[in-house]
Amino acid sequence: MKIEIRNLKKRFNDNFVLKDISLTIEKNKSTIILGQSGCGKSVLIKTIYQLFSFDDGFILYDGKSEVDIDKFSMLFQYGALFDSLKISENIAFTDFINNKTNFNKKVISLMNDVGLDKSIFDKYPSEISGGMKKRVAFARALYKNPKVIFLDEPTTGLDPINSDKINELILKVITKRKITAVTITHDIKSAIKTGDQYYFIDKGIIQDKGDCKKILKTKNKVFKSFITGADIKQ
Amino acid sequence: MKFIEIIGEFLLHFLSSLGKFIQFIIFFFKYLVKPKFYLKNNLSYFVGIFISSIPIIALTGIFSGMVLALQSYTGFSRFSAESAIPNIVVLTLTRELGPVLTGLMISARVGSSIAAEIATMRVTEQIDALKTLNTNYYNYLVTPRVLSLTLALPIFVTLVDFIGVMGGYIVSVHRLGFSDNLYLLNTVDFLSLNDYLSGIFKAFVFGFIISIVSCYCGLFSDKGAFGVGSSTTNAVVISSILILSSNYFLTELFF
Repeated sequence: MKIEIRNLKKRFNDNFVLKDISLTIEKNKSTIILGQSGCGKSVLIKTIYQLFSFDDGFILYDGKSEVDIDKFSMLFQYGALFDSLKISENIAFTDFINNKTNFNKKVISLMNDVGLDKSIFDKYPSEISGGMKKRVAFARALYKNPKVIFLDEPTTGLDPINSDKINELILKVITKRKITAVTITHDIKSAIKTGDQYYFIDKGIIQDKGDCKKILKTKNKVFKSFITGADIKQ
Repeated sequence: MKFIEIIGEFLLHFLSSLGKFIQFIIFFFKYLVKPKFYLKNNLSYFVGIFISSIPIIALTGIFSGMVLALQSYTGFSRFSAESAIPNIVVLTLTRELGPVLTGLMISARVGSSIAAEIATMRVTEQIDALKTLNTNYYNYLVTPRVLSLTLALPIFVTLVDFIGVMGGYIVSVHRLGFSDNLYLLNTVDFLSLNDYLSGIFKAFVFGFIISIVSCYCGLFSDKGAFGVGSSTTNAVVISSILILSSNYFLTELFF
């Protein structure tokens, strides 16, 4: 699914978080949204997902303003797993709460896809590690066979080895299943590894965009300072 | 000038919160009319509330009844009216103390836990996750809690009434020297069905107040640990104030 966002504005009370955002998410490509903490990345993807309303501008999904959000899925920053449910029930959440019982086979297949061992099938989220929680959350996001997947800081809180593993896993799964992916991150290494195109947001506007493989060659001073960690005056 | 600004800001905040709360209640009834019940979820929640609340309910009932018998004796013995103690104990418990004390205790025990649980879900994005999983949080979170507590509170109040009367009986018979048969006879003879039902009606109202306020405070909590803490406090404080104030109007209704 192709998603076009034009002149999007979103505010909370008097604070404009998104001042004027225009970007295009290409079908079956991996789009990376980069930016510092608090720049509005999460608000942007939640607005595209229609979890938030917006104040001005428009969003077109395959050229239409209406969309069935059942085609979307999201991996939340800290997993957002339901503590009172078992891992299998978390993954097959919608089937589980609707009292369907024949989801075990699909859950095991998904667990296998995301590199989870069957032994955690009946465990609770509090009994597994942070890396495993991300994988469970990813499996839950894939359960409904989404056309578009939104990934909110998928490597946050993970050590470098686990971050690499999660990046490889995301890349493998979205390529194999031909899913359009929108990832928000402030991790340049992850962006280069998993993305096709990037957008860099700063102070509520798009400061830079381009090919992920050419991120390090950017000419934009603000983005450069973000990459190097240098403090520059604009 | 500054003072007027502060009052104006407070009023605006209060009115907008009140509007949001009323809208929340309207949405609750809207989804209750066309419900999607998650039976397993509803039942397990009801059972959970029931089991976890029984000990405090029993303690509330027994000590209220015992204290009531002792204090009534202190007053009535001055007019040689000790024989009215069973009547006073049973009337006070069924009409007033049973529903009010149970409401306050359940607000502290269950209301706080509802608010904290939902607020934590809000902070950890589980509410957003529900939306992304096509699950309406009114159906999944609010309805089971409100229905469970509204239906459970009358049962709790009945238990408190019974255990409280037994507490009064124990003190009156074993401490104050009442005849056991006479005490029970006075209790049963004096109590009318209306007395009991007025308390049960209050229990329904208090159960609804506690659960709807707690769900609202949890769902609209601020972010972070502070947000969870203040939503829990707000749930208990607002529920308690609403219980005490609505109790007056309900008492007027049944007077």
